[in-house]
Amino acid sequence: MAGIMSNRTTLTSRRTLLKQSAVGFAHLAFSALLHEEAQAAKSQTKGGGVAGESRLHHPAKAKRVIFLFMKGGPSHVDTFDPKPLLSRDDGKPLPFNKPRVTFAQTGLLLKSPWKFRRYGESGLPVSELFPEVAKRVDDLCIINSLHGTNPAHGGAALKLHTGSDNFVRPSMGAWVNYGLGSENANLPGFVTICPTLAHGGVNNWGSAFLPAQYQGTPLGNASVPSEQARVQYISNPHRSNSGQRAQLDLLAQMNAEHFSAAGPNPDLDARLNSFELAFRMQHAMPEAQDISQETAAARRDYGLEEETTKDFGRQCLLARRFIERGVRFVQVTHSDSNVQWDQHGDLRKGHTKNALEVDRPIAALLTDLKARGLLDETLVIWGGEFGRTPTAQGKNGRDHNPEGFTMWMAGGGVKSGIRYGATDDYGYYALHNKVHIHDLHATMLHLLGLDHLRLTYRYAGRDFRLTDVAGRVVSDIVA
Amino acid sequence: MSFGDHSHAHSKSNAHGALASFAVGGSVLLAALLLTAFLLTALTARTPVFAEEPGGSPGGKPTESQRNFFEKEVRPLLVAKCYECHSGEDGAEPDGGLLLDSRAGWMQGGDSGAAITPGNPDASLLIKAINYQDSELSMPPDGKLSDQEIGVLTRWIKMGAPDPRDGAVKASSSGIDIEESRRFWSFHASPKPDLPEVRNTAWPRTGVDFFILANLEKHGLAPAPPADRRTLLRRASYDLIGLPPTPEEMAAFLNDARPDAYARQIDRLLASPRYGEKWGRHWLDVARYADSNGLDENVAHGNAWRYRDYVVRSFNADHPYDAFVVEQLAGDLLPPSKQAENRYDRLIATGFLVLGPKVLAEVDEEKMRMDIVDEQIDSTGRAFMGLTLGCCRCHDHKFDPFSAHDYYALAGIFKSTTAMESYKKIARWYEHEIPTQDDLRRRAEHEAQQASLKEQVDAEFASAKTAFLAKGVDESGVPEDEQLEKKFSNETRAKLKTLRDELAKLAKQPVEVSTTMGVIDGEVADAKIHLRGSHLKLGELAHRGFPRVLQVADIRLPAKQSGRLELARWMTSAEHPLTHRVMVNRMWRWHFGVGLVDTPDNFGRLGGRPSHPDLINWLAQNFIESGTSIKQMHRTLMLSSTYQMSSTHSEQAAKEDPENRLWWRMNVRRLEAEELRDALLQVAENLDLKMGGNLLPIKNRAFVFNHTSKDETNYDLPRRTLYLPVIRNNVYMPLALFDFPDPAVSSGNRATTTIAPQALFLLNSKLAERMARRQAEHLLAVKNLTSAERIDRLYETALSRPPSAMERSRAERFVQRYVEGPAKDEAAAGETVRDERELLAWQALCQVLLASNEFIYLR
Repeated sequence: MAGIMSNRTTLTSRRTLLKQSAVGFAHLAFSALLHEEAQAAKSQTKGGGVAGESRLHHPAKAKRVIFLFMKGGPSHVDTFDPKPLLSRDDGKPLPFNKPRVTFAQTGLLLKSPWKFRRYGESGLPVSELFPEVAKRVDDLCIINSLHGTNPAHGGAALKLHTGSDNFVRPSMGAWVNYGLGSENANLPGFVTICPTLAHGGVNNWGSAFLPAQYQGTPLGNASVPSEQARVQYISNPHRSNSGQRAQLDLLAQMNAEHFSAAGPNPDLDARLNSFELAFRMQHAMPEAQDISQETAAARRDYGLEEETTKDFGRQCLLARRFIERGVRFVQVTHSDSNVQWDQHGDLRKGHTKNALEVDRPIAALLTDLKARGLLDETLVIWGGEFGRTPTAQGKNGRDHNPEGFTMWMAGGGVKSGIRYGATDDYGYYALHNKVHIHDLHATMLHLLGLDHLRLTYRYAGRDFRLTDVAGRVVSDIVA
Repeated sequence: MSFGDHSHAHSKSNAHGALASFAVGGSVLLAALLLTAFLLTALTARTPVFAEEPGGSPGGKPTESQRNFFEKEVRPLLVAKCYECHSGEDGAEPDGGLLLDSRAGWMQGGDSGAAITPGNPDASLLIKAINYQDSELSMPPDGKLSDQEIGVLTRWIKMGAPDPRDGAVKASSSGIDIEESRRFWSFHASPKPDLPEVRNTAWPRTGVDFFILANLEKHGLAPAPPADRRTLLRRASYDLIGLPPTPEEMAAFLNDARPDAYARQIDRLLASPRYGEKWGRHWLDVARYADSNGLDENVAHGNAWRYRDYVVRSFNADHPYDAFVVEQLAGDLLPPSKQAENRYDRLIATGFLVLGPKVLAEVDEEKMRMDIVDEQIDSTGRAFMGLTLGCCRCHDHKFDPFSAHDYYALAGIFKSTTAMESYKKIARWYEHEIPTQDDLRRRAEHEAQQASLKEQVDAEFASAKTAFLAKGVDESGVPEDEQLEKKFSNETRAKLKTLRDELAKLAKQPVEVSTTMGVIDGEVADAKIHLRGSHLKLGELAHRGFPRVLQVADIRLPAKQSGRLELARWMTSAEHPLTHRVMVNRMWRWHFGVGLVDTPDNFGRLGGRPSHPDLINWLAQNFIESGTSIKQMHRTLMLSSTYQMSSTHSEQAAKEDPENRLWWRMNVRRLEAEELRDALLQVAENLDLKMGGNLLPIKNRAFVFNHTSKDETNYDLPRRTLYLPVIRNNVYMPLALFDFPDPAVSSGNRATTTIAPQALFLLNSKLAERMARRQAEHLLAVKNLTSAERIDRLYETALSRPPSAMERSRAERFVQRYVEGPAKDEAAAGETVRDERELLAWQALCQVLLASNEFIYLR
């Protein structure tokens, strides 16, 4: 924070405010605009209850985000980007150059083993890997022209989550949390359910130089079944509620007496509050995770009754429950203890299994959000860190491909039932209306009412953005 | 890893960044540009290229029909598709430095030279780019132009690119005025100032106090009264050894009536082996120390601990700071240390340069190499000089007087250094062999074994050969050995095979000796400037050297060495304006909570200005005079009245100086993550003070986390926290919660945040619970104590003071009520239920004290 302001009084009052609010998760979003205020050198600090919305750069179309992260890189040409020429020219060489650097060697063109059909009123094509999601295709905005740079999992995952593959930078969820804050004072603003610890690990939900309270709060990790996923230290099995209350009361007395000589100190006040908040969070978090009150129909729809879908199904259901309770950014990671969607070989078997695990839960999530009137204000994003090559690796595999791939969005102010952008005839390179990862970030922030150019944080003498020095809002897909 | 500076570097290889391929920008290239423009003009002047409509020239006026074609077809296209990034309208630098909004712009060209060769579309980069022929250079980035549009531009260039737009290109401002830049406070050396006059001459104890008091008096403020002895020893103990004083240590100090009792305590603490553990850890923050690589391929730094232990040893031995710096940058180029027990320290020290996060799966090996060089330059600049040199990888520094040329002069030094054994993914960093006596013995044995086997083979062969020859040779003569062997008896051949197999097997199992991460000199060569940071666009050669603005008496680089040793000597020269001031400021920060320069890692223009410029200069000179003794600097700082002030609040002073930048009182500070954990262990009498060694249960270079999320690391050890593994991407949760810095980046200024999960940790974690329980067990284990006596003990251990009468009776009441209330729910049924309830109640009390502000904040 140092160096933001020259005016000392301003700094102090602002810092005091930040600290007080920092304790809570609902910090009321003034932090994001600290810098602008500072620039303007208007020392009018707005204290207290400023609602997040009033601090937006422009009216928001979405209030929150669910990011369904398909770890490993699902193949676009086998899911949402059909390529007739790829089928026709199966076994022939790619008629143009491969990128200068590739992750591995690939050979000849490999047609998709899955058939595509058109669905819904929009008639968008979806492969038979996603029959349930296909039924919701009229809600989707399929972007076929994503592109990144890094062909390795780690770099690509970091790029997707933080905008940077070679520097430690705040994650997109942390930026959103910093910009908007949580709507629930007892829950964190950014929750990530069963994230992978590989390929960037914590950095993919970390806050880097943003204040610590904006980082994602992980529930378990990818090697823990979602049923067992918990926030660390959220409960104490040995301590009774009344016992802990007695402890907190004594603690409050001791802390109040302490430092009476040291004068007002926001750190110490903040610490007092942090214990009370922790006490409340101990109840709010298990309540959010308790799905016992969900209907049998919901359990069935999300696939909780079936072995293949119950793990990811619960993650999706939890996502809805967190969203309902005012969490701003929920990431749901689909990853087993390996790199789930990474089919360098055995494409048919691997993708079939993976799609089966997520197809129903995702469709149920979209349906459920819509039925509850939440889809309009919730931006759902689906995708992996890259796509896969149309050329074969080995006999029945595909290599990493960051040059062109597909993600889709739904709800939250994006046009629905459309496809945007395109790859070349074989699906190797993004070609038309290209959307870079930075553009995806800029667009996501735009939908949330934040201008990616103005959502900045000053660190080490420079203003940082999620989109670094790039990024363009893809206005064509904004509803 | 230029964290916290202009990170344009990494947009260079995406499509937007590929714009850069077009254009030239940046001062260093101005000469090249002018040359290109000149050649272009020369070329076009003598080449009849206007196939469609001769008569114009790029320098001359277009004809009427050419102008029409341009205005109707070309200009709208350029405006619609190219101007967004390649025009100077908004005053911003165009992407890639290329302007397409004037004739002069495209003539001047960009990073890759001229964008257009008039008359020759095939030779024009612009045409290549719009045809998407090169994945690094495909324009416009968000979608290919239509065939018709491509046709228009191709035709236009074929015509000779007639262009009526005659605006001038905005001159690129580049020249760094070195003399002018040296005026900035941190970029020129300053002599030792005299001590200022003060009115209250009784207050100052060390030189520090004169500067602080003079400034306070100038502002009409008085220093806070001295801290009481309990507060002072608790503060000094945590500051120097990272642990609270034991009740015995406290009692000894309180009972010491000698006038130098406090100075004796400082000496005691400085002499403690715990000192190097505390201050070594400070340095490890700066060195971005970690036991795993982090980033994309998180593999174990299985030997990093040797560097950590070297740092601890260096601090304990009061190794001069200058030598410490030189060893870390160039220890391999120094003669080995004379002390037998530390004979590898100078090799181990160079681990500093390899410890950074490396993109080990980068497919582009040259990019990986330059990324690693960049990380080394950035960490070296930041750690030792407080500079953000990483900025200059792509362009001259925007704020500080460092050019891309300066950067690549340094890059040449690091590029001439071998930090990596292999760049093939997954790449391997270099390690020095540092064999132990045992390793050497085993290796000698192994070699002897091989030699003996070889001898046996030779002997067997020779005797068989003799036997063969003895049988007489036919006219074809003696066959070659290989042929000859085939004629040996089956038995002999089998024996030879067995011996040879055994030999081969041995050769395949070389004796593994101890190794340590580090660097050696590689192929020595200067580096070329990388335009916009891209290794695919090389500019002029930058001879190895040091940033020009930081003037130090001439140090010449050897032709046959990388120049790291000279770099280190340059950096530690007494004339160097930064190195020593940066270090004394770091020490001030670590003692007082805020630096004299409040950005200890950035002494550049965007960093803070010193609150007491003379004091920092005085300290630096003092430091140099002492032979850069760190322990001496501790005494200078800690024996001052400034350090010994209390943290008492003053309305008046707070009004004048709310941030306490004038030091009218001591800052209150929260324990650092390690201090908190170590203190929990110590008060529970559970701290194992064994020093050093490896606690990482993962093999060197094996994945910590690769494709799985399984955590193999064990943190449940009673060792001091600094010895626990530091895993990038997954720092041990209690440390991460309490602001342990990101170990991927050099950092000398930890944050202090207050967040609810910290409270959850103290309320619910196994660690907090177990330590409270152990403490309670110890309290109850001593028989025949009253509750009041137990409470006294608890306060003395945890808070270094006895409780007040009110606190004592309140704690007694708490225990009583807890036994009767909550403990009934918590205790398991059984015979010892009463004891268990008692224990639970005391445990609850202990836990409250350990979670209290007084435990966690130092006054």
